[in-house]
Amino acid sequence: MTVSIALPTGALMGGALELLSRSGLMTVSAEELGRQLLVERSDLRAILVRPADVPAYVDHGAADLGIAGKDILWESPGSHYELADLCFGACRLVLAVPDGSLFNGPETWPPLLRIATKYPKTTTAWFEARGQAVEVVQLHGSVELAPQVGLVDGIVDLTATGRTLRENGLRIAGVLGASTARLIANQASLKTRTGPVQAVVSRLREAAGG
Amino acid sequence: MRRWGYRHVITPLVENMDVLDLGLGVDQRRRLFKFTDARGDIVALVGERTVPVARLVAGKLRGVPLPLRLCYAGPVVSTDEARFHHRRETYQVGAELVGASGAVADAEVIALAARCLEATGIRRYQIDVGHAEFFHGIMDAVRLPEDAKSAVRAALAARDFVALEALLEGTPLKSAEHELLLRFPALRGGPEILEAAGGLVRNRRSEAALSELARVRELLGAHGIGDVVILDLGAIRDFDYYTGVTFEGYGPDFGRPVAQGGRYDGLLARFGRPAPATGFVVQLDLVSEMLTRATRPPALPRLEAAVAWTGAGLDTALRLGSTLRLFGMRAVVDTEARGPAQARTWWRAVGAANLVHCRGDAQVAWTADGERTRTLPPEQVAARLAGGAA
Repeated sequence: MTVSIALPTGALMGGALELLSRSGLMTVSAEELGRQLLVERSDLRAILVRPADVPAYVDHGAADLGIAGKDILWESPGSHYELADLCFGACRLVLAVPDGSLFNGPETWPPLLRIATKYPKTTTAWFEARGQAVEVVQLHGSVELAPQVGLVDGIVDLTATGRTLRENGLRIAGVLGASTARLIANQASLKTRTGPVQAVVSRLREAAGG
Repeated sequence: MRRWGYRHVITPLVENMDVLDLGLGVDQRRRLFKFTDARGDIVALVGERTVPVARLVAGKLRGVPLPLRLCYAGPVVSTDEARFHHRRETYQVGAELVGASGAVADAEVIALAARCLEATGIRRYQIDVGHAEFFHGIMDAVRLPEDAKSAVRAALAARDFVALEALLEGTPLKSAEHELLLRFPALRGGPEILEAAGGLVRNRRSEAALSELARVRELLGAHGIGDVVILDLGAIRDFDYYTGVTFEGYGPDFGRPVAQGGRYDGLLARFGRPAPATGFVVQLDLVSEMLTRATRPPALPRLEAAVAWTGAGLDTALRLGSTLRLFGMRAVVDTEARGPAQARTWWRAVGAANLVHCRGDAQVAWTADGERTRTLPPEQVAARLAGGAA
């Protein structure tokens, strides 16, 4: 019985393919998967989708399993099971403000903060939990540009090393959470195809832990 | 469901919020479509039917002795798009058995749910049976401070086992229950899983749940559905609502449950008539989606007879239609007079298995699919069709 797994394009793709190969489940190059989008080898089918789409494929049962960054899962809570921390793709979701900004902590924030982000749900929830009114501007790319042109007071974005932020004259003013790649599973797959799905899960878990 | 003695009830489409407040949790209330009526009261559109049925049992049916077996069917709506998978409306058929506790009642409702799934035409399905008390027992026994316990509950509700593991690893005291929580999604299988779990739990609540599950499983065997039942100790359901045996129905290659149910002994008391209760819903629109996507979709029931007529044949046609229906067949009588050739065209359009063309009292022309036309008295045609249908 074929088990399908949704893999993300972008930053996590390399780590995901390496993990698959290390687990002995499938060896496929980024070029091949990038070209074909769907590769099937001995009872495992890998499909390549945009990172933010992984939960959708898994929740709707188009894929039994998926690899997604925790940052994506914060934004798309669904019916999937989050089974394992795959321990790669580490980064943090941070609040960043311009270097010259006076906003250093909750006590220095203005009554209404304007924040640009690709993560509106997580951002809103984080500020709400701190009693801060916030106007979230949802952007789809080049978020670090927004404060420089006066669109917003700060941004909430993902950073691994903090380099991009520094290069754009931004500094970290708060950490919303730490993210790594996670293994997620469709709820029905775990129940109706338990054997084959669990076999893939435990091999991935083993490879990630080792 | 009528054959199981469940009476059909119709609950209101629009309900007063004050009433629903008694029965629904915070999240459920938030998901309702709400508006104000002419008096300024807040009312809501039906979001589920268990609470309205509970209110019916505690209100209008207060004088009727328990147990009560009630069923319902209809659309429900929700503002939370994710809940019904990106549509606002879903069609639910459900049943509630109120006033009966114990494994026999639990098994009856599960077996009824299984038969309902079969009645829809699903060929393969599985029913996962779990128990809310198994989880409650573990949470009692697990040695954690109260705030950590609520974090554990939240992580489980979100099915986030990475967070769960982090929470449990941070605590110094390890117990068998720790291990059980971490293995929650894998705690499923046949009767052997009860023994395996029984060897690990050391608390009364969980042990009682396991022996009740064993009993329900035996009873489901007697109901004739033992082979579709899987025990799922790690089922993650609304643990504040369910108080006993819970279950979910899954179809093949379909990413979500199509039926859900369980025991909720706490609800009726909120309406002033404390009583044990158990019930289920089948999401009929999901079932239909699953069936239409199957590789071999089940054939829709076909019309048995198209009855056409010309001139004096109308009376015969109407009589023949009634007779065929008495025998349980589906028969359509034409609304216009047609000659033999036009009648054939109409027959193809209607898509029935047989064409009967009536021209007078004595003889009618009967054509079955792929066979030549025979001319017979109408009684004989009815008898032959009834014989074929039986």
